[in-house]
Amino acid sequence: MDIFSDLMMGLSIAISPINLFYLLIGAIVGMIVGVIPGFGPSAGLAILLPVTFGMDPIGAIMMLAAIYYGAMYGGTITSILLNTPGESATVASTFDGFPLAKKGRAGPALVMQAAASFVGGTVGVILITILAPLFAQVSRSFGPPEYFLLAVMGMLTLLVMIGTNWKFGVISALIGFALGTVGVDLETGQGRYTFGSAELIGGIYFIPIAIGLFGLGELFYAFYTGLHKTGTGGIVQYDKEERFWPSIEDWVSTRFTMVRGSILGFVVGVIPGAGATIASLMAYSTERSISKNGDNFGNGEMAGLVAPETANNAASSGAMIPLLTLGIPGSASTAVLLAAFLLWGLRPGPLFMEQNPELAWGLIASMYLGNMVLLVISIFAIPLFVQMIKVPYRVLGPSVVVVCALGTFSVHASFIETYLMFAAGMVGFFMRLYGFSPAALVLALVLGPLAEEALRQTMTISRGSFGIFIERTPSLSIICVTIALVVLLPLLNRFGNTSAGESEKAGS
Amino acid sequence: MDKTETKFGRGLLGAVAAAVVAAPLAVATPAIAQDYPSADETLDWTIAFGPGGGNDIMARSIIEILNKYDLYPGEISAENRAGGSGAVGWGYLYAQDGNGYGISTTSGSFVTTPLQADTPWQPEDFTPVALLATDDLVLVVNGESDIQNIDQFIANAKENPITIGGTGSVNVDFIVPTLFAKRAGFEFDYVSFNSMSEQTTALLSNALDAMVGNPGEILGLIDSGDLRPMVFSGTSTPAALEGVPTMGDIGYDIGVSMPRGLILPPNAPEEAQTFWIETMKKVVETPEWDEYISSNTLTPTVLYGDEFRTFLGNTKNGFETVLREVGAIE
Repeated sequence: MDIFSDLMMGLSIAISPINLFYLLIGAIVGMIVGVIPGFGPSAGLAILLPVTFGMDPIGAIMMLAAIYYGAMYGGTITSILLNTPGESATVASTFDGFPLAKKGRAGPALVMQAAASFVGGTVGVILITILAPLFAQVSRSFGPPEYFLLAVMGMLTLLVMIGTNWKFGVISALIGFALGTVGVDLETGQGRYTFGSAELIGGIYFIPIAIGLFGLGELFYAFYTGLHKTGTGGIVQYDKEERFWPSIEDWVSTRFTMVRGSILGFVVGVIPGAGATIASLMAYSTERSISKNGDNFGNGEMAGLVAPETANNAASSGAMIPLLTLGIPGSASTAVLLAAFLLWGLRPGPLFMEQNPELAWGLIASMYLGNMVLLVISIFAIPLFVQMIKVPYRVLGPSVVVVCALGTFSVHASFIETYLMFAAGMVGFFMRLYGFSPAALVLALVLGPLAEEALRQTMTISRGSFGIFIERTPSLSIICVTIALVVLLPLLNRFGNTSAGESEKAGS
Repeated sequence: MDKTETKFGRGLLGAVAAAVVAAPLAVATPAIAQDYPSADETLDWTIAFGPGGGNDIMARSIIEILNKYDLYPGEISAENRAGGSGAVGWGYLYAQDGNGYGISTTSGSFVTTPLQADTPWQPEDFTPVALLATDDLVLVVNGESDIQNIDQFIANAKENPITIGGTGSVNVDFIVPTLFAKRAGFEFDYVSFNSMSEQTTALLSNALDAMVGNPGEILGLIDSGDLRPMVFSGTSTPAALEGVPTMGDIGYDIGVSMPRGLILPPNAPEEAQTFWIETMKKVVETPEWDEYISSNTLTPTVLYGDEFRTFLGNTKNGFETVLREVGAIE
């Protein structure tokens, strides 16, 4: 199979003016839906899906795919500027993105996130191009035991997030786990803490909680500290003297972070159901435990922004693998893409790339172009977004409340979720005030139900035996990798700290 | 979050359907009948699930047909009002009591959601237009498995208890294999998943012995030989699954499938109901509708008006009994 000639064929299709136009529209729409909190790529795709009826399938699918990965670029902008994740996969980008903006480095942070997104997205497409069949094997080797172990690996990152105030951190995580139990129990079909409400059948979705805890919580805290009285100060201090472009140091210090984030993100993205959100959280905590400056994470460390940003973009590329090679959508967004394929009478599956080479390779080629387009749009749009933080706080503050409320409501048109978002905002304020960890809460809320369901599925399958975890090769491999991470990383770190000359090698 | 909408139903009333087609030609006077539909009124079409799901595709396919053949004079505005497994969307329609310009498509959750949650509405409350099709399930094993056909499958399952995966627990994915196993005389453990994707990878990774699913979603994997179809739960096997027996063919008919139909708000004007019944009769005759049925591997099963309401009531009662027996609902 000649990959290069396939790719060139795809490129010749993608580069036609009308297809480029659709790609551009998709990229811009993706950026916009990404910027609006809560209103994510699946909603954006849904709105444009009916518009694509009657369009040529290749152009339409290129456009829809661009919305999907474009949202990963846009979602970080509000994470950095307002501490409000625009999108679930950019929750982790608030951890260091917002502190960077507070330090007056909003410009460099935005440029670095665009660059990181580009690297992640492009590495992801390169991996699709050359290794799609191989990664299809990874997608299909994941059953419930592996999902459980993956969730456990994710929970290890809680340890990193809890940080120094471990008592409060543990309480935060427990609240998250508790919220995760709400909803219909998947196994028995019985409602848990739903109080008969139909809206709670599906459980508590973490998006309203994340928007409330991070976005509104931060806002209330800013009011509490009297930031609104500073008048022109803006929600973050923006130092005009500060350089817009990142420093050489920023690039050099994060070059390996980008590589690690891309690969980790891609691999997690390939696994259906894990997705960009978990990928970005895992990349963040992995980076934090590897980095020499791990202790400075959360205080505006560039690597802490770059890691989740490369990971979520690489993961969104990775998620195309199960879609294209197995016809299995790994997330809500790729499920809408699958629906689009079906509408045109295309049936993704193991034979799809062979039977529809123009479409498959046209799409892959368009992703290279799309990432370039998005990089350019991002860089040009940054000065515009930076203007946002110069808006007086008394204007910006209330607008943030409105955007958070509308964004939450737009996800499922649910009043209960909107109330939850406001409640989470209050809780977020107190968590901030007393030093609890909102990040641990959100992570526990995401991973708790995943771990519970996967473990119960595993136990049903194995009839209660834990032996299944070591009998299956994929799960055994995950256990080994986890042990390696837990045991080896601290050792490497210690080694790195004692001998500065070796630390670079160990770190990379 | 967009969990796969639950699916199920019951039916296999094809013969009855044919006989019933002419039944509800109602008594509306011509004068009133001309009042509906008014071209000035926008038809408010509620899709109770997110875009891309089975319900969404069905609604949009019907709307396309209505527009193409000019079967509805006014504007049609389709909205996805997802949430609470359909409770939000159908609750919205329920609130439009007496309105002839609200409409919605149904799916399995139309029956199961009221069983699970305190919805103010029940399926029989709405003004029924038509049952148009049923969605049936195919039982598949991993393509690498030694089991080649359903006889071997049952024989093996009788020897060693097996696991079968499905989406959700209070729905047809659970009820179909449960009833089938009872008929065929084997035992299994049901493993419920949040989505078709998760259960498919679980089967491909050899964690599960078998699973049930809508053929449309896994045809790609069936064509490539990665999944091997065993038996189909509908009355007749769709063309894409040629050679696969139905449960009835092997003597274990279970009579359960998921209803895809059309409803109006409670107490909608009779002329509205009549109009939509007549219109749907035209819709199901179009080549586009045939295309929709075959590309989504549905079984055409048509019932109009009150027959559809009776069908929904029976389906709900049947489900309630099975689910109560296994303790899934109280």
